[in-house]
Amino acid sequence: MKRRDFLKQAGEAGMAGVAGGFLLRVVPPARSTAAWLLIPMDDRQGDHLKAYGVTYRVLERGGKAEWFLNYRGGAFLVPGDGGTSRDASLAGVTSEPLSDGELVNLRAQLQQGNMDAIPLEKPPKVAVYAPPNASPWDDAVTMVLNYAGIKFEKIWDGEVVGKGLTKFDWLHLHHEDFTGQYSKFFLNYAGAPWLADMVQRNQQMATQLGFPNVPADKRQVAREIRAFVERGGFLFAMCTATETLDLALASDNVDIAASYADGTPMDPEASRKMDWTRALAFQNAQLELSPNVPSFSDIDGHQVNSIDRKQPLGAFKLFNFSAKIDPVPTMLVQCHRDVIPDFYGLTTSFTKHTLKPSVTILADEPGAAWAKYIHGELGQGTWTFYGGHDPEDPQHQIGDPPTDLSLHPHSPGYRLILNNVLFPAAKKRELKT
Amino acid sequence: MGLITGLLIAPGLVQAQDQLSRAFDLERRGSYAQAAEVYRNVLKARPGELSALLGLERSLTPINRVREMLPAVQAAIIANPSAAAIYAIGVRVYSAAEMPDSLPRLVDLWARAMPGDETPYREWAAAALQRRDRSTARRAYQLGRERLGKPDALAAEIAQLAITEADWPTAAREWSNAVRQLPGYRSSATTTLSPAPERARGEILKALEKEPGPEAARIAVDLRARWGDPLGAFEALTRALPPNPPQQIDALQAFLEQVRTETTQPYLLAQARTMEAMADRWANPPQRARYRLDAARAYVAGGDRTAARRMLTRIADDAASAPAVAAGATGTLIDLLVSEGKVEEASAQLEQYRTTLAVDEYLRLRRAVAARWAQSGDLARAEQLLAADSSVEAIALLGRFRLYAGDLKGTSELWRDAGPFAGSREEATERSALLALIQPIGPDTVVALGEAFRALDRGDSAAAAKGFEQVAGSLPADAGRPEVNLFAGRVYAALGRAPDAERTLRLAATKETPSTAAAALLELGRLFLAHERKDDAKQVLEQMILDYPASALVPQARRLLDQARNAVPET
Repeated sequence: MKRRDFLKQAGEAGMAGVAGGFLLRVVPPARSTAAWLLIPMDDRQGDHLKAYGVTYRVLERGGKAEWFLNYRGGAFLVPGDGGTSRDASLAGVTSEPLSDGELVNLRAQLQQGNMDAIPLEKPPKVAVYAPPNASPWDDAVTMVLNYAGIKFEKIWDGEVVGKGLTKFDWLHLHHEDFTGQYSKFFLNYAGAPWLADMVQRNQQMATQLGFPNVPADKRQVAREIRAFVERGGFLFAMCTATETLDLALASDNVDIAASYADGTPMDPEASRKMDWTRALAFQNAQLELSPNVPSFSDIDGHQVNSIDRKQPLGAFKLFNFSAKIDPVPTMLVQCHRDVIPDFYGLTTSFTKHTLKPSVTILADEPGAAWAKYIHGELGQGTWTFYGGHDPEDPQHQIGDPPTDLSLHPHSPGYRLILNNVLFPAAKKRELKT
Repeated sequence: MGLITGLLIAPGLVQAQDQLSRAFDLERRGSYAQAAEVYRNVLKARPGELSALLGLERSLTPINRVREMLPAVQAAIIANPSAAAIYAIGVRVYSAAEMPDSLPRLVDLWARAMPGDETPYREWAAAALQRRDRSTARRAYQLGRERLGKPDALAAEIAQLAITEADWPTAAREWSNAVRQLPGYRSSATTTLSPAPERARGEILKALEKEPGPEAARIAVDLRARWGDPLGAFEALTRALPPNPPQQIDALQAFLEQVRTETTQPYLLAQARTMEAMADRWANPPQRARYRLDAARAYVAGGDRTAARRMLTRIADDAASAPAVAAGATGTLIDLLVSEGKVEEASAQLEQYRTTLAVDEYLRLRRAVAARWAQSGDLARAEQLLAADSSVEAIALLGRFRLYAGDLKGTSELWRDAGPFAGSREEATERSALLALIQPIGPDTVVALGEAFRALDRGDSAAAAKGFEQVAGSLPADAGRPEVNLFAGRVYAALGRAPDAERTLRLAATKETPSTAAAALLELGRLFLAHERKDDAKQVLEQMILDYPASALVPQARRLLDQARNAVPET
């Protein structure tokens, strides 16, 4: 099924749900105490993040669920069986029993406003791109997936180049540098054991895969990721993976890596020679030519590591979409807060003048020249980029202790990540290989 | 003539400054290529102009065109052959332009212009290190040493290079050389050598032992202190102390600051010995007595009572000790005697020095003595000692004495009278918890329970745990049995006796007393997690959350469950 067919079907299913849709045909298991459980996602929810895990596990057990867009913060409807209610209790997730009659009334309510019901059918197979030695607390997505109890597999260059992406529906990238320059930490952190390990692992992998250097390896990985999206995959990237993925894609025949990475200096004319048609989100960016400046280009609006250019953190605002006409962006912005405090990352935000016209802005900082959260399509698939490193550690530094999400169960910033994880559950189709 | 020359030169200078300002503006706006052109124009007229040369370097670096600077650098050197800064730029430019063969010639030129200066070799090496070329850097340093005729020149730089290559013995030797030349390098030496892996530490200490002079020994002292051997460090320090007492005191003071950062037993003892050594070197009696008192307290905290007593005796023998210090010493001595269980002697000392002690200190010590009497079983004497004390602290203590007697009713009444502000916050919280424990117990008096509490406060936790378990067995299921079992389980768990803890906690987890059962299951979860039994932990924690959803402990159980499932980092 193509993405547009899916949208059409999702829309129809949503309307069918409104009219008394497929969930009513699901027979609740014997232990059920109520026909349905409504998991509210407004301020009455006890643990917003684990609510996604409870819903995901319903799908994993072969059950069906619905996502009530714009209703009580993006509530979920799940079967009221004993297993689900036990899971919700253990997770501290607030759920409300709902009878068939109450559900009919609720559906009528959904029909009247900017709301919709999206059926969730299949748990997406999730892959996280990370080196084998990465700790589970290294990036926001693995942290929140662990916390919510959503299963994922780690993959790296070997699997990606070996066509291993075909078995996954959803791929996450975090702070990987696809230009192969080790996030330009090479000079500032020279001698640090973790950097030496990172360099060694990447060089070994590049050699093992037959590439002359790390930038060449990463460029091929970027191409495979692009092909994954084109075939119908869902890509979610945060932090510097967003910017560098596009830089790697657009620099097909241009040397954009400093000499410490590939033995030759960067092409001084690189900005002019980039082929932005290959990129997913960005165009016409000016590349940072100095290997000593820890920045890649003017795509990032905040330039956190550049003393002269660094911008202060503000807050970003989620856009409001029409649930019935634009269900996909609506799903991605479901949250109990509209305005969320910003957080730094190696790439914190995306300057609007570098965005392609086809890009949908999901959130931006009002009055600022940058967006925070963007989305787009490529071929059969979609991609979503979210700037910043850790929504609950706005000034994250290397070596900081990991974020303990049990202390942030209502994190709106983390919720946006989980919207992306559940969004592919709404799509019922086989990936083409 | 001077005025005429000034008038003639001024327009040229003004023009150059204008151009420099314009170039700087262009540079700030990111127009590097244009800025470089302007800087180049200035250099055409004034080839030795350092500001312009630096500006040109700054502008060409971000656009990867540093190589173009070569003619400007060469002209600048000819124009101003004695300017070290121009040579330094030259080294950077030659290096960035990847002309390693020309670099030695430039360095040679620089060295001849400034004989005896280490800078040319240092800059050459720094430029090589920027390219991660460590062998050239090493060659630069060695050449510098040879040319300068100083075998210990550039020692700090060589030490740091050796550390990047994990050559720890060389690094130790070179740091020793560097500190000998400039003592201020000692902290850098310690900071850079201390991250050495454990296997390399012995080699470092051996290398330092072979080095001449006290500097290497002092580095070894600092490293030993950082590597968890403060007592060894102290011994090494006493062997390496400078000859005169004021310098010795300075060295000891610096060491004291270093070992004060930790409060484990070896560090406390090292602090005590250092303060004792400082006291021995002080001629001023009040200061001497003060250090001895501090040393005595540190010895008490570190568990060396003999040494503490030695310090206190010396204060008492020192007629010149200030009265306040003498009173402090008396207080410390009584604390020491109480902690040793020599309660009779403590009582005698307390009465003997009553007039020298401040009132609050006297009352505190009297309560400590009374508590010890009670723990030793002489409740009558303990209660008699506090008979005239109407403070809330004394009332709380009297409540505890009643607890030792098994008089639960009396305990409850006295603790309610004492209120929540007697003693520290921890003590008040503990009293509340114990009140909650004894409240459901049916009989007003349970002598065996009092004995168990007395054993616990005496430090005999094993006997206490057994006592609590036996008492629990004798109580009705609905009148204190689960609560006392829970308490016994906690004591067993603290003792590390997991099977006993598990047995008693499971006995406490009965549905008849939901709040106690929830607490017992949570405690079991903690116990299992501490012993890496994650599946068992998950099972009891899930049971707790599902069976007692209204318990106030559910959030704690969920957090532990997350830890058992590896869903959150261990903090």
